[in-house]
Amino acid sequence: MMKNLHLLALTVLFCLGLAAPLAAADRELYVYIWSEYIPEQVVADFTKETGIKVNISTYDSNEAMYAKIKLVGKGYDLIVPSSYFVGLMRDQGLLLPLDKKQLPNMKNIGPKFINQSFDPDNSYSVPYMWGSTSIAVNTDMLGKDTVRDLADLWKPELKGKLLLPNDSREVIGIGLKVLGYPINDSDPAHLEQAYLKLKELMPSVRTFDSDSPKQALLSGEVAAGVIWNGEAFIANGENPAIAYLYPKEGFSLWLDSFCIPKGAANLAEAHLFLDYILRPEVAAVISQEMGYSSPNAAALEHLPAEVRSNPIVYPTDADAARGEFLDNLDDATNQLVEQYWLKLKEK
Amino acid sequence: MRSSNLFRRLVITGIVCWLAVFALLPNLLLLVVSLLERGTVNPVEPVVTLANYGRLFETAIFRIVVDSLAMAGMAMVLCLLAGYPLAYIIARAPARTRQLMLILVMIPFWTNSLIRTYALVAVLKANGVLNMFLLWTGLTSQPLQLMYTQTAVFIGLVYTLLPFMILPLYASILRLDARLLEAARDLGASRFQAFRRITLPLTLPGIVSGSMLVFLPALGMFYVSDVLGGARSILLGNYIRDQFLTSRNLPMGSAASIAMTAIMGLMLLVYYYSIRSSGRQEDVA
Repeated sequence: MMKNLHLLALTVLFCLGLAAPLAAADRELYVYIWSEYIPEQVVADFTKETGIKVNISTYDSNEAMYAKIKLVGKGYDLIVPSSYFVGLMRDQGLLLPLDKKQLPNMKNIGPKFINQSFDPDNSYSVPYMWGSTSIAVNTDMLGKDTVRDLADLWKPELKGKLLLPNDSREVIGIGLKVLGYPINDSDPAHLEQAYLKLKELMPSVRTFDSDSPKQALLSGEVAAGVIWNGEAFIANGENPAIAYLYPKEGFSLWLDSFCIPKGAANLAEAHLFLDYILRPEVAAVISQEMGYSSPNAAALEHLPAEVRSNPIVYPTDADAARGEFLDNLDDATNQLVEQYWLKLKEK
Repeated sequence: MRSSNLFRRLVITGIVCWLAVFALLPNLLLLVVSLLERGTVNPVEPVVTLANYGRLFETAIFRIVVDSLAMAGMAMVLCLLAGYPLAYIIARAPARTRQLMLILVMIPFWTNSLIRTYALVAVLKANGVLNMFLLWTGLTSQPLQLMYTQTAVFIGLVYTLLPFMILPLYASILRLDARLLEAARDLGASRFQAFRRITLPLTLPGIVSGSMLVFLPALGMFYVSDVLGGARSILLGNYIRDQFLTSRNLPMGSAASIAMTAIMGLMLLVYYYSIRSSGRQEDVA
């Protein structure tokens, strides 16, 4: 029966038009990564230095990557899951442990990004890029002091002027945080309180948008939004009145990490590549080209001062300390979150 | 003769194989998966159950089904109200104008509908084209709040689906024998009576097929509600996608998807019978 299930799964993938790449030849590396997430120059330089040919394929959601690794299970040497998917895939035995001896540059990673709940000791993951999901406010529309903290989102001035992410975990996380609970809380009573609190917020919500939330802020459709910092960075560049702040109750952080999936064929090459992108100067180039923050502490000094000192990209240590990474939840909690999400969106 | 027979057989075999592999097989897989239980380690456990279908009737999920049907129905009615007069005007226009008008109806098809939906954002948003125009003419002093409303969703749906309504209506109005209308007027029918007793029944097949062509896609077009409506309600399409991707509950997603296919099948059945009975009426007349 198990065999049949796998066959079934494979057929599903076949019908979706997905096919695993051919097996790797000598000195090759198969990287499966988010689209537009690594500069071509970095890859070319790595090939020039090591002679290893790098084949890049891309995905645009954790779920798509997960389905392919889970159901096909071979053909890739490196993947870049987000924090909670690292936890999920590690729990399910879909990742291979790293050989830290081959990764001397791992020491460059800042302490905030090491040893997180989704991967204690970083046995499976090398932090690659990170950012936050927090509050952006149009101070022209609301004034400077209307919104400073999460609780302020419930103010009547924001009625019909708020944007939230179209993501159940992020939204429930706002409810948990404003009540003082951890973002990965799985206590059903706490989740219910968060739901009830969020239900009061619904009249304020004009739109749920995780695709391009900066548009609604820039066009003045909404006056405040919970958005990720990359979007806030662009919005702030176009309209300096749009401020990004880190509320005292806390906020969510995201972290994408390189991992070696089960079924990887080119382990030595994968480790060489990981150690290469962990070099401070390489990490700095990646961060600057891609526009995301690097967890590589040694890379910071290679970045231009105006980037390093921009709090939207690099919050102060005190601010960043209030951020929490989303971790994988157990099945029962996930179902609870899903139910509350459906109920939140009910009219 | 023989070679054309061979050609025909090849074409038909090709199409049947294509449909079997890319339409029948995936749907059968969905059906099988929808009858299994969700697994924790594996995507599905080989336990046969009807529980997934039962869950469709839980209040929260049933409301999603009802909301989706209501939205598709409303889009259908709006398209019919807007499309019928337009199709009538096109069908009654001089031949050359008619060609031009038909091309104008079809031009939007040249652009992907998702892109057209995003283009509508640029029209409807607070500082968008429409509001700029209204403010400039002085018709309004405040920008209209159009984005992220039900109105915006229906504007998007009607805009995208209107051609599917106009084309079958146009075809059936074109076929309508004008002499029947003249005869009706000669026999003392008012314009309205002639429309109600002659035009409407004779163009019914066009109305029904246009309505189907609007209703069925509208049921699946959740991205219009996401982009223009602010994703504030969950539709059947959102739910199926979230079950597969976010919740990783393949059996539940499959059950919802099969249910949607069943609803569409039911609609097509209604369509089939209404066409047949209207055909019979024609025979009697």
